[in-house]
Amino acid sequence: MRHVIQKPDVTKTKPLTEPVVLILLSLADEPRHGYALMKDIETLSGGRVRLRTGTLYGALRRLLEESWIERFEQSDTSREKRAYRLTSVGRKQLQLELDRLKQLTRAAGSRLARLASEGEGG
Amino acid sequence: MSGVRVFRVLLRLYPSDYAALFADEMINAFEQGCNEYRSQRRAPFVRFVVRELVGLIIGLIAEWIAKLTTDTSTRGRSLPDLRKMRPAGVPYELWFAAAGTNYRQTSLPMEVAQAQERVRFLLNARVHAATDRDFQAARSYCYEEYRERDKVRFLKKKYGLE
Repeated sequence: MRHVIQKPDVTKTKPLTEPVVLILLSLADEPRHGYALMKDIETLSGGRVRLRTGTLYGALRRLLEESWIERFEQSDTSREKRAYRLTSVGRKQLQLELDRLKQLTRAAGSRLARLASEGEGG
Repeated sequence: MSGVRVFRVLLRLYPSDYAALFADEMINAFEQGCNEYRSQRRAPFVRFVVRELVGLIIGLIAEWIAKLTTDTSTRGRSLPDLRKMRPAGVPYELWFAAAGTNYRQTSLPMEVAQAQERVRFLLNARVHAATDRDFQAARSYCYEEYRERDKVRFLKKKYGLE
């Protein structure tokens, strides 16, 4: 039996976990290596999320498996030669997730506004 | 025992393919974190080390579960697939670390041990490919194996082992 590599399904819109969203967001503007990712995620979340090394690399492994990110050798002479960058599939997934969050925020906003107006009226 | 040493020991317990790819980077990230926290007071540094080690143990369990439950073709996207040829520029040590090869245990010169390991790998890959009826791949593994066997013979002569 020949092994068939299944292509990742881009249309899958399962909600992503917070660390995954933060990793994708961090890689959205520029490629980063492990420690830079951890620091950027901490900044992005306002110090609320501090990813541990084990958690970060577990997530990176899964993202590589899904082909949402790719690993490459950086040409500079710094100690961390390997960095990660977003693929087009990963970018699409991040966009889908952000659209989902926007939709949720809009729905929550309109519901809260309705509740507030009902409270004022009643 | 220092935090870095415990970290390294724990990393050895990870699945070998995962460790071969990420261990150096993880140690590097941990060391950078240590350097940053070491400049602060003692308590935050200790908290950081404990948090990291706990995270590593949780990751260890998660990675073994992932290894045992994920299809090899899927896993091959992120981790080295031993059925593939070693890509140019990737050192033998890294590529075969996934096979659990420890060259330090052998009394043969490193070059010979590596070539022999490569023959074993190619033979194994050929058998797998033939079992999967992928005869084209089996043939290419076979040619590669002949070349590698010649190399072993040459190296044995070079080191006076024959």
